[in-house]
Amino acid sequence: MSLEEEYTFVRHSAALSRMEHVQCVRIEGEDATEAVDAICSGDLWVRDGRMRQTLILDERGQPIADVYVCPDDDDCILLFEGMTASELFEYIDRYADPELEIRPVDLRPTHELISLHGPYAWEVLSRWLTPDIIGLPYLSFYYFDHGICFRAGKTGEYGYDLLVHREHAGDAWQDLLGLVSAVRGGEVSLETLDLCALENGFFSVRHGSVDGLTPLELQLQWRVSARKRFPGVEAIEERRAEGVGRRLTHFVARDGVRAGDEVRSADGPVGRVGSAMLSPGVGGIVGTALLDISVAHPGIDAFFASHSDTKRPIRTISSPALFNRSLLVDPHRHTYETRDRSMDPPLWQGALP
Amino acid sequence: MTELSDYIASREAVLDRVRRLLRETMKLRLEPEAIDPDAPLFGTGLGMDSVDAVELVVQLDAVFGLKLADSLFVSSKMRTVNTIVDAIMELGDEP
Repeated sequence: MSLEEEYTFVRHSAALSRMEHVQCVRIEGEDATEAVDAICSGDLWVRDGRMRQTLILDERGQPIADVYVCPDDDDCILLFEGMTASELFEYIDRYADPELEIRPVDLRPTHELISLHGPYAWEVLSRWLTPDIIGLPYLSFYYFDHGICFRAGKTGEYGYDLLVHREHAGDAWQDLLGLVSAVRGGEVSLETLDLCALENGFFSVRHGSVDGLTPLELQLQWRVSARKRFPGVEAIEERRAEGVGRRLTHFVARDGVRAGDEVRSADGPVGRVGSAMLSPGVGGIVGTALLDISVAHPGIDAFFASHSDTKRPIRTISSPALFNRSLLVDPHRHTYETRDRSMDPPLWQGALP
Repeated sequence: MTELSDYIASREAVLDRVRRLLRETMKLRLEPEAIDPDAPLFGTGLGMDSVDAVELVVQLDAVFGLKLADSLFVSSKMRTVNTIVDAIMELGDEP
């Protein structure tokens, strides 16, 4: 399957993926929430059954894990990228109060994580699970017979992560693949999901562009608590006191731009490209660049990305880059079969430089 | 570079006003600079709900003359602080 075909599944119908890069653990015990609160950078005020995105930082304030925290009675389920389950357990041992009553359990040996994305992902899931699933709010979760359904996703489309008991995962995959195919969707790779995440401005801890950066430069201050102490907070306070000099900014280009390129204005260097991918929706490159804070704004056509002897114009943009189909699809009114042209405007509504 | 400098100065002025408006409307206990321009408004990010959205639409009209009557227009323009700033900048000379 080509990336373009997979991209069409995510952006126009429904896509199925095995989320082997995501770790899943349950922290059990009466002090589970306290232990998780101690290691995460964000405030974890969230009701039972809801989810919250947060970060785990190193002592330099750099994100090392991108985390969903899901309080579940006294326990906490964590879905995360960037570190292994054993690394997380070591991190808890190092930074949480050793007196806390907790039992960390790695769910990966007993479960598989399968994800559904796309403007009609809800339709697939409502047929497989229950029609009630369309009422599940974003960032909440729901137990079913063979696992847990998390309403999440990092593509800008409807998204669901299914944590399925391993003995039922094979059947679940086959059933879902059949239903996804019925709406002209299919299986997609991590590369396609990463592209969609980049287009919609989702942070990825697996991209090299986070090296040396804190949530202040990464536009992730909303995941940093202003009221509590957590690992890495001193580094963030120090950087905030010094003044933030750079900010991650999204851009588009026609072609030829790659990660690591220098970004220049007519007066000299203003930053560096962090990530760049060819986007079928944009018809060119989408990417992020770490720009000098004085020019880190959307709507600027005056910069070039350069490497060796090449020099390509870029345009800074507001994130997300796309007008997602899922904004137009109402599960209470539409289905894949009854969709019409009014629900098919261009994904990219801007112009390339 | 004057044109670019003028654009950035104008954008920063609108960004500052939108951040302050958000802080006031949503009763955020954050310094304006701590509101990231690309932070999502709904769900994650600033965690706005539908009640906040209605209040913000009213305030954007009152302060900037930005009319977001159509729900689709609201969906496309109220995604991040920056997309709101874009919409205000598209109006031309903001009040």
